[in-house]
Amino acid sequence: MSWQTVLTAMAPEHLLLLGIVLLVLAPLAGIKGGAATTLALTAVLAAAIAAAALHVAGYDVAAFQGHFSVSPASSLAKAIVLALAIPVVLMSRDDFADGPFAILLLSSLYGFCLLLSSESFLTLFLGLELMSLPVYALVLLAFTRTQSTEAALKYLILGGTASALFLMGVTLLYGGTNSMSIGAFTSALMTGDLQATSAIVLITIAFFLKAAIVPFHAWAPDAYEGASVPVTAYMATVIKAGVLLAAVRLFDVVTLTGPAVDLVAILPLVSIVWGNLAAMRQTSFRRMIGYSSIAHAGYLFYAFLGAGDTRYQAVLFYVIAYGVMNMLAFAALPRSDDEGSRDNIDLLRGLFQRKPYTAVVIALAMLSLAGLPPLPGFVAKFLIFRNVMEAGYTLYAVLGLVGSYLGIYFYLRVIRMMFMSGDVAVPAQRAPDRWSFSASALCLAVALALSVFPGWFIGAL
Amino acid sequence: MADTTLLNLVLFLPVLGAVALFFVAPARGDVVRGLALVTMLVQLVLTSILYLHFDPAATGLQFETRLPWIADWGVYYQIGLDGYNVLLVLLTAFLGPIVVAGAFSAIRKDVKLFYATVLLLQFAMLGTFLAQDLFLFYIFWEAMLIPMFLIIGIWGGERRIYATFKFVLYTAFGSILMLAAVIYLVYSLPEAGGARSFAFADLYQVHLPLSVQTILLVAFSISFAIKVPMVPLHTWLPDAHVEAPTAGSVVLAGVLLKMGTYGFMKLGFPLFPDATQLLTPIFMTLAVVSIIYGACLALVQTDIKKIIAYSSISHLGYVMLGLISLDLIGIQGAIMQMVSHGLVAGGLFLMIGMIYERCHTRDIAAYGGLAKVLPVYSVVFMILTLASIGLPTTSGFTGEFMVLLGAFRATWPAGGAAFVTSASAVLGVVLGALYMLWFAQRFLFGAVKAPHQPLQDLDLREKTILAAIVLAVFALGVFPDEPMKKTEVAAKQYRELVATARTPESIARIDVVAEPIATVAATTEAIDATAALPHLAISGSKP
Repeated sequence: MSWQTVLTAMAPEHLLLLGIVLLVLAPLAGIKGGAATTLALTAVLAAAIAAAALHVAGYDVAAFQGHFSVSPASSLAKAIVLALAIPVVLMSRDDFADGPFAILLLSSLYGFCLLLSSESFLTLFLGLELMSLPVYALVLLAFTRTQSTEAALKYLILGGTASALFLMGVTLLYGGTNSMSIGAFTSALMTGDLQATSAIVLITIAFFLKAAIVPFHAWAPDAYEGASVPVTAYMATVIKAGVLLAAVRLFDVVTLTGPAVDLVAILPLVSIVWGNLAAMRQTSFRRMIGYSSIAHAGYLFYAFLGAGDTRYQAVLFYVIAYGVMNMLAFAALPRSDDEGSRDNIDLLRGLFQRKPYTAVVIALAMLSLAGLPPLPGFVAKFLIFRNVMEAGYTLYAVLGLVGSYLGIYFYLRVIRMMFMSGDVAVPAQRAPDRWSFSASALCLAVALALSVFPGWFIGAL
Repeated sequence: MADTTLLNLVLFLPVLGAVALFFVAPARGDVVRGLALVTMLVQLVLTSILYLHFDPAATGLQFETRLPWIADWGVYYQIGLDGYNVLLVLLTAFLGPIVVAGAFSAIRKDVKLFYATVLLLQFAMLGTFLAQDLFLFYIFWEAMLIPMFLIIGIWGGERRIYATFKFVLYTAFGSILMLAAVIYLVYSLPEAGGARSFAFADLYQVHLPLSVQTILLVAFSISFAIKVPMVPLHTWLPDAHVEAPTAGSVVLAGVLLKMGTYGFMKLGFPLFPDATQLLTPIFMTLAVVSIIYGACLALVQTDIKKIIAYSSISHLGYVMLGLISLDLIGIQGAIMQMVSHGLVAGGLFLMIGMIYERCHTRDIAAYGGLAKVLPVYSVVFMILTLASIGLPTTSGFTGEFMVLLGAFRATWPAGGAAFVTSASAVLGVVLGALYMLWFAQRFLFGAVKAPHQPLQDLDLREKTILAAIVLAVFALGVFPDEPMKKTEVAAKQYRELVATARTPESIARIDVVAEPIATVAATTEAIDATAALPHLAISGSKP
């Protein structure tokens, strides 16, 4: 293993690290505010481009034997998710230009990249923690609100529980196979003795906790509501994507059979139904998105029911469609100086009269999240349910589809507020600054491309 | 080649119009209206050209476009005209300018959004009719919901929120079942001996076991029956109609309801022929129940919009009866009835909108003797009323008569349970005359009574719109032959598809007795020839 290999294989990670170092040093050089954000933006963009280049070049190397490897598939996933983080940086420019926001964000992304390249449970755990730990701090950044502390604490404790469960499961696997390689997980799926089964159950539950699957979901609505908007957007898209893609990496291309199917079907199904039902009653926009993300985590885990080799494509496409549309909604959300009232859903009343562009954009995001055609959310959902049905689990597919039907109501309720209610007196709202606007325009362009040429994206994955 | 481009242009013209609207200043309501009207008129002209170029003798798709869309799944962007959709596409294009012009005075709020929504709805509706690929069809089918949700919800009446949510949740439930069935159907194809494809033409070839066919047909049928709507899945319709703005009601009655019957004709029945044969008594009974029950409900309404709404349920029951009769005349009658109902109910909703703009009430008790104060209005209203009843020389007669004739022939000899069912459909004609004439009598005749007097009679815009509709109604009533020629091949194809068994066992049977097929085909042709004759006689004798 030469130093060139290490440099090339880890190029996205190195660029992120470089960004972190520069951001730490920046205040000393007097670089602050907008310039710091630009620096962070450049780092994320460069990392995404590096990952995309590795994918295009078909770079396939095990840089650190048994611990860290790069494949075109993992590079593509890195590129996509890093690109998804770009709107987050743009959105944060106004409120969090100074301070540690960008550093924490880049660290979290670093963890994410590590996660996707991990070959052993050590690197996987390292990646998972590196991705999650900065987010606990990010939630706390909006400390002007009392809810932030509560949210961060809940998130921290439940995140810690997930890590503990994960480690316990890994220990059991190690005890059984004497190997730290993530391949031990798939071979445990095959054996099915008590120790292996317990390990699988523990690790899966750890992922359920991180992805907020019912009944391990209680932290999500609180954390989503307590965090500031860019952080909520980051949690709802990038973190969720990271957890799911890590799970895909772990399950590899093994087609599930027997009890393992029920393990990844029943609780996600309950999540779909419960998330959609609970979202109907929310009065806070971010809380509603929190419950909606619980339902979406359910759809994502449904992808694991399909044939093993279809899983990666289904999850990745869903992550793009879901991530872009969620980002779009958050970027367009009107600003208010009072963070506490900013996401009261009633403030969206009559939004179309005040800000037509914003209202239309949020409406598109809602329709896509509801999975209505011709928006990208539909194709993503179709892909997942198609795989489930093709694998022969018709009943689960039909129940899941009916569960997704329950979700239509509350997404349309948001549209109703914006278009069909009279104007209300709202506290002063700032127009989204041009950075948030450019973030939403960026997402909108991708969303339109996804709607018109879904075939191209699916073919490319 | 040029016609193929033209068809694509027809489909995407409303989108171009909507995009163009985006650049108009919101304050310029007149420019917005003009732009929307011009888009719709150009679309109508182009569609008429295609209609004239449509070759009635050709089988299969005309002006077809087929491009890979989601290549990995075998999904194609495939559109084309055939006998199934040609009249409905023309109807949609014809109602387009009428809807736009009809809303000029009624819509004062968010004008730009309104016309953009109407144009996108037009796009989705045309797409649903033109799509020849199941995936594409589903996208358009479901996409129609969004503009309609906005039209009812933003510009509707007092209980618009309730009505629009009821409409969307009802329809979306059907769609989700259909989606499950679509996925199941397409991905069980390899097992059933077909290639993985979403193209209608390929799906017609597939042989599925009867049990699977039945489940899938039920799933598709629930979705389509909600749209039609068939009793007992009709309860969303009166609410949606009453609360929708006039333009919404016209589109709803004129085109959207036809989606359900078109779905049965193009997909539901031909895809699952054996299950259709099995369930024919149920479909027939539900169709007749819809005819009679809808008529009975129309009889007791006090809201004038509800009368027409329930009459729609009754009239679309005839369409279903004609389609399920599998008699050539019945099928062609069903298509005629779809077009006729689109014109007549659309026209009646427009006229109710016009009186509502003047008097701001839809309570029948508030009106009386309008013939004395609004002579022109009353003449047109009377014509449409008679067309709705099905008076000879109007389009309503052609459709209803042929459907009933077809149903009788299919269920002959008299005396069986099936015949009793189809014969009771005649009751709908009687009830139809009763509720419409009673309505017209209270509305137009008697002592003069109106909430706002003096009343202005129709202005030039309204006269032009209604003249176009009345002209079309008479044209279809007096010369039904021409449009019927365009649908004849499709009607035969439809009957062939639904009447031929297509279970896996039926393949085996064909393999064993390869010889008699030629004779079977010959006899079918002979039957077609004899069946074609009486309908010519009927249409000839009508004027």
